[in-house]
Amino acid sequence: MRRTLDAIEQGKNSVTSEILFDNICLNFGKRKLFVDVTLKLRGGKIIGITGANGVGKSTLLKLAGRIIKPDGGAVTLPINATIAAVSPEMKIYDGLTAVENLKFFAKLRGKSLGADEIISLGERVGLDTKTFGDTCAENFSTGMRQRLKFMILLSVDADIWLLDEPTANLDDDGRQKFFVQMQAAKHDKIILLATNDSAEVDICDEVIRLPIG
Amino acid sequence: MKLSACRLAEQIAAILRKDFLIGIRRRATFAAMMFFALTTVACLSLSMGGVSLAPNFSAALLWLVIFFAACAGISGTFDDEANSGTLTTLKLYADIQAILFGKMIYVFLSLIMLAIFIVPIFVILFDVDVTSGGVLIATIFLGLIGLSAAGTLTAAITVSATVKGGLFSILLFPITLPIFLPAIALTETALTGTGFDADLLIVMTIFDAILITASSILFDYLD
Repeated sequence: MRRTLDAIEQGKNSVTSEILFDNICLNFGKRKLFVDVTLKLRGGKIIGITGANGVGKSTLLKLAGRIIKPDGGAVTLPINATIAAVSPEMKIYDGLTAVENLKFFAKLRGKSLGADEIISLGERVGLDTKTFGDTCAENFSTGMRQRLKFMILLSVDADIWLLDEPTANLDDDGRQKFFVQMQAAKHDKIILLATNDSAEVDICDEVIRLPIG
Repeated sequence: MKLSACRLAEQIAAILRKDFLIGIRRRATFAAMMFFALTTVACLSLSMGGVSLAPNFSAALLWLVIFFAACAGISGTFDDEANSGTLTTLKLYADIQAILFGKMIYVFLSLIMLAIFIVPIFVILFDVDVTSGGVLIATIFLGLIGLSAAGTLTAAITVSATVKGGLFSILLFPITLPIFLPAIALTETALTGTGFDADLLIVMTIFDAILITASSILFDYLD
């Protein structure tokens, strides 16, 4: 079976970059998840990836993030593109405080965050860093951890955002804040959002529904 | 994407700092190594009842204690990250070589602390005369470099295995044997003060270089 899904043309203010999944094949044991899948995802908009459980939404993001390698075909990213992700599988360090986590991941991307910048990031995602900045992440609730992941995402300012059900465990305020940040950031990024959540699907500029089988 | 040497060094430093912060707060790795070494040395010393050991036996015993104490600590180098789910995040944000060398340097510095802790205790409890301190320090330094390189790579290989503990020691021992044999011979020299062979230091240096290079090459192929 060969499936080709082209994420149409670029938006008005979008970047020219794209992620190309070229004839991707991926097996999990005897199960063939992707067979010769070709997919071109262009930047400048929020691209939703939906589909039933197990069709490979999260796996597609992992392929884009080069966390897993395909059994066949190639994933081509824009040259020198940096990637950041929010996913249930991507954890932060419980043994570090919120600020230490933030500074660590920013440092990995060559950025040094000042105190004002950290406070500003906290305000954007609704995490009071003056109160919780020195608290170890192990003492955070699931929602607070999620907000901290958003802070990391915003702080590293990557070219590609891979978001896997990013607003799960967030309250309404947290969801709204995240949606605002996504809308503000989308013009110069490639944002892939794997979800089945209707609110998350609604903010997508384009939705690709992965078929079963 | 290839990083510049400067950016790579920055990432290595960030990973090293992070591991030390967590290591100091959790203390589990340090405690496991120190207590294993202390318990082994104390038990052996008590069971000997004050009998002086031959220098070659003392040298071998010291490296055995260091090897197994190191196993207790190093095996969790990637395991802890994998179990807590942070390894995937780290791989996404950091260059794979920065992860390797950050972890390797962390392991090396942990082993240096282990040596600083256990060697004086060993010397006192076994009533060993160190005739050539310089040779002993150089031998321990080179031996721990090799053990760190081999241990970090082995920890990465075994991270997805189901029987990690046993497998780690089984894989690590043959890899580090070429380092341990000259290390034991040189330690014996340091204790007796005779028969110093500089070639053995060169052999250890070459094996260290091989282990570090091989780790760097092979690490790219590990998932």
